[in-house]
Amino acid sequence: MTTTEVADVAAALRHAIRSSDPRLSKFNPLARILTFDDFNDGAHGWVELGGNYNGRGDLDSMDEHFRDFRPPQLSNQNFFDVGTHGGMGGTYSLKLATRQAPGHTATAIRRLTMAGRGLLQIEAHLAWKVEANLGGGEEANTYGDITWDANSHPSEAQFGAFTVATDLCHEGVRYHNVMRFQNSDEQGRIVQKWMYPVVAEPTPHERFEGKHDHGRYADFTAPDPDDWRYLDDRRQEACYNEVPTKVNWHYLRFTIDTSTRSNVELQFNNDVYDLRDVPVPPYAEKYESLESLLNFYFSVRTLAPHRNFLFLDSVVISADW
Amino acid sequence: MRQSQSAVMERGVELVDVHETEPFEVAWAGEARWYVQFLQPADDTQVEFRVQISADGINWLDHEGIAPISSTAAGWRSIPVERFGHWLRLRTTRTSGVGAPTLRIYLELKE
Repeated sequence: MTTTEVADVAAALRHAIRSSDPRLSKFNPLARILTFDDFNDGAHGWVELGGNYNGRGDLDSMDEHFRDFRPPQLSNQNFFDVGTHGGMGGTYSLKLATRQAPGHTATAIRRLTMAGRGLLQIEAHLAWKVEANLGGGEEANTYGDITWDANSHPSEAQFGAFTVATDLCHEGVRYHNVMRFQNSDEQGRIVQKWMYPVVAEPTPHERFEGKHDHGRYADFTAPDPDDWRYLDDRRQEACYNEVPTKVNWHYLRFTIDTSTRSNVELQFNNDVYDLRDVPVPPYAEKYESLESLLNFYFSVRTLAPHRNFLFLDSVVISADW
Repeated sequence: MRQSQSAVMERGVELVDVHETEPFEVAWAGEARWYVQFLQPADDTQVEFRVQISADGINWLDHEGIAPISSTAAGWRSIPVERFGHWLRLRTTRTSGVGAPTLRIYLELKE
């Protein structure tokens, strides 16, 4: 067999083996699976994103908007109306939960390093919901664009955004690949579009140098709304499913290329977006202590005075090196 | 090996009157322990801790097996919890004094 034929047979074998594994067959990973997390036996290294504190462990030395990203929860999706909902594969999923404060963000991060350069991919089966509301008057039936009609539910307009992103660094050059599903705006108007920032995330080192000082509820990924662009003007339809206690899992795949420090592709259910022209702004300044940094994070940000939740049933990180 | 998780529920919140931790899902855990550290103590101030449980993460009631715990607002306190169901939170109330201590609150969970 030629080298190409050997590679084709190897790929076909990998595909056949994966297809027979009910846990992995719902994913489409690159050749080497770095991590597989289904959250039925712990959080698997997904941890609250923490800020950078000084040599005394002084919490006041951290950026204010980096102090409260909330600990992730192992959730059985326990709801007031149906009891335990459970996950897509097993009882548990990982839940990121914001506070009831507009602008508040919950973030969980997975920390690795790179043993090669090339394609890198994160896949997830995920769902987003808003904390159910019990009680109140007629005003509880309307939020922003949505008035309850036994199909649409106001809680859908109370969900702000979720984000999948990297924190990568090699040869001293640090950068982030970022994709955000913006569900609604500050007034509860439905947006439902993918977005990306055109600037790098403000870092604690930059604050240390006096370049910024953001408040508690700033958008840590890119605080200025003018620094965000829509990936596509078309609305991204999805399955919130009418009320805050019905959970339908969505497939997400985000592929990047570390050899070119670029975005490659985003898949959300059956919609595929070509990201090769979507910029990945690097930091101008070289970073120490981060060589071969390979972090992925998920975040959820509420723009309403309601807790927003991002549930991760399972996550796979893979590479082609 | 038993699964475990330590969650930092607050890392310096100021207690003005009443503080309740965010709802936390604990269905997988068999035992829990709260730790409270008064980062900024208030020696003339008394507080009361109540461990609370919930059926839905929205409505809360006091854990019937743990009496309210009174404490000065200084140092560390620890509260073990068993038979707590699927949700936990800690309610802290300033019961006397005018100080505004700051609290770091951990929830430690184990199968």
